[in-house]
Amino acid sequence: MLFVEFRFFWFFLAVFAVYWSLRDNRTRKLWLLACSYFFYAAWNWKFLFLIMASSALDYLVGMMLSRTENPRTRRGWLILSLCANLGTIAFFKYYNFFVTSAAALLEWLGLPASLHTLNIVIPVGVSFYTFHSMSYTIDVYRRKLKPVSSILDLACFIGFFPQMVAGPIVRASTFLPQLQTIRRFADVDGRGALVLFLTGFIKKACIADAVAPFVDRYFEAPWNFTMASAWVAVLFYAIQIYCDFSGYTDMAIATAGLLGYQLPVNFRFPYFASNISDFWHRWHISLSSWLRDYLYIPLGGNRGPAWFVYRNIMITMLLGGLWHGGAWTFVIWGGLHGLALVVHREWNRRTHSRQDVLPSADEMQKRNRPKNLRSVAGWLAWLFTIYWVCVAWIFFRAVDLPHAAPALRSFLFLPGGGSQDLGAWMLGIVVALAFVHWLNFRGTFSEWWRRLPASAFAAGYGCAFAIVLLFIPPHYAPFIYFQF
Amino acid sequence: MSVQFPKKLGYVAIALFAFFATSALIHSFLPPIIPKGIAAKLKFFSEHRDEFDTVIVGTSRLYYSASPEIFDATTRENGLPTRTFNFGIDGMHPPENFYVIEQILKTKPRNLKWVLIELEDIQTKWDNILGTERAVYWHDWARTSLTFRKALNPRGNANWFIKLTRLWLARRDFISNLMLFGKQFANIGRATDFLPSANAERFADAASELGPRGDGYRIAGDAMSAERATGFQKRLALEVSRATQKYLDPATESGYRNAAAQIRAAGAAPVFVVTPIIFQSTSRFRQSPPPAPVLAFNDARKYPDFYDVKVRIDDGHLTREGAENFARALAREFGHRARQP
Repeated sequence: MLFVEFRFFWFFLAVFAVYWSLRDNRTRKLWLLACSYFFYAAWNWKFLFLIMASSALDYLVGMMLSRTENPRTRRGWLILSLCANLGTIAFFKYYNFFVTSAAALLEWLGLPASLHTLNIVIPVGVSFYTFHSMSYTIDVYRRKLKPVSSILDLACFIGFFPQMVAGPIVRASTFLPQLQTIRRFADVDGRGALVLFLTGFIKKACIADAVAPFVDRYFEAPWNFTMASAWVAVLFYAIQIYCDFSGYTDMAIATAGLLGYQLPVNFRFPYFASNISDFWHRWHISLSSWLRDYLYIPLGGNRGPAWFVYRNIMITMLLGGLWHGGAWTFVIWGGLHGLALVVHREWNRRTHSRQDVLPSADEMQKRNRPKNLRSVAGWLAWLFTIYWVCVAWIFFRAVDLPHAAPALRSFLFLPGGGSQDLGAWMLGIVVALAFVHWLNFRGTFSEWWRRLPASAFAAGYGCAFAIVLLFIPPHYAPFIYFQF
Repeated sequence: MSVQFPKKLGYVAIALFAFFATSALIHSFLPPIIPKGIAAKLKFFSEHRDEFDTVIVGTSRLYYSASPEIFDATTRENGLPTRTFNFGIDGMHPPENFYVIEQILKTKPRNLKWVLIELEDIQTKWDNILGTERAVYWHDWARTSLTFRKALNPRGNANWFIKLTRLWLARRDFISNLMLFGKQFANIGRATDFLPSANAERFADAASELGPRGDGYRIAGDAMSAERATGFQKRLALEVSRATQKYLDPATESGYRNAAAQIRAAGAAPVFVVTPIIFQSTSRFRQSPPPAPVLAFNDARKYPDFYDVKVRIDDGHLTREGAENFARALAREFGHRARQP
């Protein structure tokens, strides 16, 4: 079930109506859990057991961690939880990747290899809900969080349908307290949530899905297309992935908001980032801050000599790339970002300016204004950043390296390529969308609708939705991040 | 609560009213997105509408079987010359065909005299094309209500209790058709039809849809394999043994009667055609007289040539040779009936 589908509308209407008509918090949570499992089962009910097992195990680990002070025993319980959660991801997402990579390596070494791959269906959102789950056990282990007394709370946190399958990656420490206090309808910012939902809907259904066919056509056989087509396809993909993922996040935040829950901000105009570090403070913030707190800092973080910090950055970004899926293209994508972060950090070190590599969890919630682009140097830095991000997107989108190579060549202005054309005029669409995005970045659309009388807002919202539906392409494309 | 509950409900009502009013307004201005194969044929027909006096409308069974060239040659020989366009479309079952007939008539073809329509039961399941514009574009209320009536009373003999149970048994059909109606009413994706790329794609296959002679007819494939032929013969024997007279259900009958009335109002005459399908039962209208003559070829005893495995692709389709023979037979029967008062 997708947020942009008709059936989600009916589903949410039922969830919303029953949820707010219930008086007792426990009953509400039971209802939410049932609805969340129904939401997931609409995709594949068999994998529900995986979520239930993960919730049960982490509840048990949390309880056991609270009952012992012995560091070795505590570490043992934590390792059990990590092994179970990471093992789930490793099996479903990386088994075939590691097997094929090992086979290729053995073949390269001239050794006979007869390793078998499996026909594995990857459970939707497995990387997201296991990360939710792990944040709970790690925080309990670190004594940053008290274990929950009711498994219902933990199951609700892990399975909460707006964020279960594609994030944002919510921390247990921010979400569990919300579950433990009864939500009041009076506190719901209905207008804000509705506008955010419509915004996300437009991003996903009208923009991401509209450009997707062009991107798909190009990346199916990039060697057949002209250099201008490569630019159109890569820039369209940058638009597609941003609108797809941030659109989903907007709808997730809005949906949760209508039920009285706050989810963290996940995007803050990433394509206006003035450098690569700034980009990671704006793109998929919940993942980058998760990686910072649970991987980068435990690896040593910023402490130690420069090479040690760079090593930590590279490990974090390579694993961050691999988190997206078992393919070398994702590893290269992570590597390119890691490399850029290292170069940027070295630049900062030499010019004595300082910025954290990845955002902290607290920073996620702040509404920091975007960096200004007033100087020529600032514009150049922005241009170089966006170019590098787009280069990296080529690897993220291409199915394999032979498909990435011709796209990269064309994007780097190197000669070659075919004669098929997507239409260079479509770069105009990129410019138009960038202009609208810039207006939004400047706050043009941010608050005026709050000043409207309620009846005018309601009428305008109804009209706006009817008009938005006109621009939906006939075929829904699944959310890109569902596969991760 | 900052605003009382009834007040909030009022705002929801305002939003819904605004949504429906805007949708209805847009609906009246923007045409629905007609899928590319049908759009290509409709465009061609609209441009050449006065050149044709006969149109054949149906599924692939007519699309690949009724060659206008042979049909016209045969009618000419029989002294009733025609100029025919084949408006057959893959998988165009009723009630989609009723919608397409309406679109054909909307082009106001001045010389149209005959419309041959394939006769079959209304379909209610669209699982194979759900989520595509093909399932959406014809789902206006007139057509959607026919699918509801069919789902509620599929055999035409349901009393109120059966209808009540059908509400549950056919719930998937109701929901999917209602969703498709919702999409059609809400104009989903209509603006995308104006994108140059979408339009180019829509008419890109026009030449292949119109067939090699540009008359809408496409040549079918090869005969079935020996293995499949054995299965076909067994199924045919079974169908022949249990052939009976079957009344059309009320929804189907109503749909065909309406289509016939529209054709007559446009100054043409309808003729219903049952192709040589494997099902051998004869379809009859409940009310007498039928709205148009029925030319039925699904009788293996009367038309054994069409059931020879050498001229069959499958249960519903004929090879090129079979199609040519069928087009001649259709033209002869048509000429014979057309002369009757």
